[in-house]
Amino acid sequence: MYPIILLSFLGIVVLFLGFAKSKAILLPATLLFLAVALVGNFVEWNQGTIIYFYNMLAVNNLTLAFNGIVLVSAFMIVAMTRGFQDDDEAQPAEYYAIMLFSLVGAFMMIGFENLIMLFLGLEILSVAMYVLTGSDKRNLRSNEAALKYFLMGAFATGILLFGIALLYGATGSFTLTGIQAYIGQGNPSYLLYGGLLLVLIGMLFKVSAAPFHFWTPDVYEGAPTIFTAFMATIVKTAGFAALFRLLSHSFTGIYDYWWITLAVITVLTLLVGNIIAVYQDSFKRMLAYSSISHAGYLLIALTAMTPQTENSILFYSMAYSVATICAFGVLIPLAREKAMTGKPRETYEAFNGLARNNPLLAFVLTVSMLSLAGIPLTAGFWGKFFVFGSAAERGIIWLLVVAILMSAVGIYYYFRVIMAAYMKEGDTAEIRVAPFYKIVLVTATIITLLFGIAPGLFTGLV
Amino acid sequence: MLTILLILIPLVAGLLTFFLGGSNAKIIALAGALAELATAVFAWTQFDPAAGAQFGFQYDWITASGISFAASVDGISMLLVLLTTFLVPLIVLSAFGHNYQNPATFFALILFMESALVGVFTTTDAFLFYFFFEVALIPVYFLAAVWGGENRLKVTFKFFVYTIFGSLFMLVALVYLYYQTPGTHSSAITAFYDLQLTPAAQGWLFWAFFIAFAIKMPLFPFHTWQPDTYTESPTPATMLLAGIMLKMGVYGLIRILLPITPLALNQWGAVAIVLSVIGIVYGSIIAIQQRDMKRLVAYSSFAHVGLMAAGVFSTTLNGMQGALIQMLAHGINVVGMFFIIDIIFSRTNTRYLDHLGGITQKTPSLSVYFMIMLLGSVALPLTSGFVGEFLLLAGVFEYNNWLGAAAGLTIILGAVYLLRMFQKSMFGATSVNTEHFQELTLSERAVLIPLTIMVFWIGIYPSTFLEMTEPTVNQLLRFIHN
Amino acid sequence: MNTNYLPSGFLPIVVQFVLALGFIVVTMIVTHNIGPSRKGKVKDDPFECGIEVVGDARTPISVKYFLVAILFVLFDVEVIFMYPWAVNFKKLGMFGFVEMVLFMSLLLAGFYYIIRKGVLKWEE
Repeated sequence: MYPIILLSFLGIVVLFLGFAKSKAILLPATLLFLAVALVGNFVEWNQGTIIYFYNMLAVNNLTLAFNGIVLVSAFMIVAMTRGFQDDDEAQPAEYYAIMLFSLVGAFMMIGFENLIMLFLGLEILSVAMYVLTGSDKRNLRSNEAALKYFLMGAFATGILLFGIALLYGATGSFTLTGIQAYIGQGNPSYLLYGGLLLVLIGMLFKVSAAPFHFWTPDVYEGAPTIFTAFMATIVKTAGFAALFRLLSHSFTGIYDYWWITLAVITVLTLLVGNIIAVYQDSFKRMLAYSSISHAGYLLIALTAMTPQTENSILFYSMAYSVATICAFGVLIPLAREKAMTGKPRETYEAFNGLARNNPLLAFVLTVSMLSLAGIPLTAGFWGKFFVFGSAAERGIIWLLVVAILMSAVGIYYYFRVIMAAYMKEGDTAEIRVAPFYKIVLVTATIITLLFGIAPGLFTGLV
Repeated sequence: MLTILLILIPLVAGLLTFFLGGSNAKIIALAGALAELATAVFAWTQFDPAAGAQFGFQYDWITASGISFAASVDGISMLLVLLTTFLVPLIVLSAFGHNYQNPATFFALILFMESALVGVFTTTDAFLFYFFFEVALIPVYFLAAVWGGENRLKVTFKFFVYTIFGSLFMLVALVYLYYQTPGTHSSAITAFYDLQLTPAAQGWLFWAFFIAFAIKMPLFPFHTWQPDTYTESPTPATMLLAGIMLKMGVYGLIRILLPITPLALNQWGAVAIVLSVIGIVYGSIIAIQQRDMKRLVAYSSFAHVGLMAAGVFSTTLNGMQGALIQMLAHGINVVGMFFIIDIIFSRTNTRYLDHLGGITQKTPSLSVYFMIMLLGSVALPLTSGFVGEFLLLAGVFEYNNWLGAAAGLTIILGAVYLLRMFQKSMFGATSVNTEHFQELTLSERAVLIPLTIMVFWIGIYPSTFLEMTEPTVNQLLRFIHN
Repeated sequence: MNTNYLPSGFLPIVVQFVLALGFIVVTMIVTHNIGPSRKGKVKDDPFECGIEVVGDARTPISVKYFLVAILFVLFDVEVIFMYPWAVNFKKLGMFGFVEMVLFMSLLLAGFYYIIRKGVLKWEE
């Protein structure tokens, strides 16, 4: 609750800080505000479930943990922006403010108790993303991406809204408990099924599950990399937290109805994400498809919907977010350096010979790729492990087998990056990285390894 | 307590090598590996074969989910820990003659690998087993992919994807088993033993495990990654792969597959043995065709491991004991042979039999060592291979005469290709390449002498090791046959 | 006050809606058809004082127009919130007043922001 109020207000403060003579204050100020929000977030830790605004918003340890992941991810990403110094066209104050506002949307999605709140949160987050996607105004790809994202996103929002309307029509309530109570009475109306389906479609679009994924590669590629990282981590985490909340609180009564739909979408997402990723030449596009595939793994946990699910999704989101931030974090300085020498910037070749002159970046990249691939010693392994565990608990073995096969495919494209970095010849010059930037990358890598060795540290928290 | 030391010493030594190594990397690495060996030998002196699992430790790894960081040593573990800790110092020493780039990283990776291997052989938690099983892959992958030969990228990639792919099946099986355990779930391997699984469930679990371990060993028809990887890897990595890592697969069969799916064994055991025996014959025949010495030994290793698997699947005392002693013997022989090939290659720049010859005249000492290793592999009585192969064949014969006879071909065919290799490389006229063949260096002798001692020790007095494992094996067999 | 609204109770609204829409549609169709009409290329041309048409009717307009228009709509809509507050001023009391001040100050902050950003500077 506190971070919502804090960030709404502090976002405005950032906007006004933009009028200061020196832009240098913006980055530290934004980081400070995020830290304040993080502290504010955990004030309500371990106080049970608290309901706010006449049943609009709920706060409990799970939502706080999701908020924490979102905030920490945002903190790392903001720290990597370096104040947008090297871009004259940039409007740092506005970017930071939009990022802070979008987090408010994410918090609303994570803790919504009322479907209207879900819609509001989703819109706040999405509209912010549309703007950030198009923020590279002189770049045609960025413009295209923003327009595509906006049109498709607006359409998806419309579908979601229609779904919410149908749910209201069926149950006479917008609240999760109300819908649950209605389903508890038995014999639900057909409107409910239709509504659920449409709401699911709207949400699955946002987390880029197949077959609603078509926007993802173009948008990820077109958007400035730093905002791609933001999109890939925060939207996905918030989206899955919201999906989990929706399904686990309201719709467990009709599990038999939706699980098969979701299972089919899961399989499709896994197939599309992993197989198309193999054929990409651009690292950024590969990460886009890989983010689709990770949506697939997260969907496995949702499909299973066992008591394990909440922990699996939480852990997986954390592992995925941290690893993704590392991956994009290595790409940003590298692409900048390559751009100066006029070499391919975002293809696999850009990584050739990275290890020779930049062992740190190469190591960070390797750990993040290993984590995304789900190799032991990294947090990504335990993420997959818990997700597979929840499916095994429910006994959906065939889904597991598909997931396993696709994980093996995943290793192929993640390892291409590692091979390029370590074993291919290349002339990547030494890249200068700001110390602060380095700290972020190293911290993220340590988090990945730490939770890879002792996942109990994280699962024991919640 | 000793067990955690055994896992931690190489890890710490590896970190030290990595961060403080520099030009002294090899010395630090060797010291670390020797300290580990000393610890293992100390553990061996304290070890009581009849007492079952000992030196155990356990602490909660993932809270509230019954997954713990637990390890202990029983007879089978002790044997493999000794093998690992004995071979790693020699492998480190064998790399002394080369100037590998980034020696600190190189030696650190070898030590990390040792830590993971000891972890695999001692852990008593199924997920920890999987964890180490996979982690062991990463250092060796980098060793092979960074310091390997020309085709290393393609080959190591195939190797990595192949083995990970296999292990993922094991992961599914383990996760499934975990959720079958009663109460709040437990992932102790012994908890999996106690499950009352239906024959159908055991059937698919059997195959999930079989694929994982068969790829690792490798068994026919999952072996296609192996000859290329062995050939392209730098010799220390090849030694790690053939000498120790291969044993992870056999160990997995003994520790995981057999006790968890005993019922499936009635149904599918025959298929597994037949595949193993096909591998023996097939590997031997291909080995005869080889001109590249490293490839030849790679195929011979493939043939030998087939016999070990056949012995394990026969689930007889002889077969099991034979497999265990053969793991030890094979580890020593194969490391010795790869090292000798490496010595030849470093002096002549070729591994092709057609380009070699007459080395005996130049360095008789090398040919003597080579002969000893070879005879160990051919299973001449009084050498290490004999005991293992004899027991293994006895075990397979107990299971089925025909299969036993087919598996017995391994000795004849083995003699054919190994002795031919010896004859082609050591005898005859010297070639351009071998004209200036130099005498063995001190560090090379330091590797070969301990290996030779072990070849004879196992050959002459195998009881040292057989008695160590027998109680554990008996207990395991009783469990399987009930 | 009657709080039970039945669908049939909305009938008058529907009737009014249909009548309003119908009137427009009917008049448009009727006026189109009852007058004499002569069609031709010259006749259909837009025409002003006999000067021939040059260029396109859709000329680009400076983005500033849209910005100002949108800002106008924004602030205009915000003002709507004032009406219900004004009506219930006494009932809401101090609470309503504080809320409204907060709301207005946010609005003013926004206004200040756009001025500082130079959105309303017409000449540049």
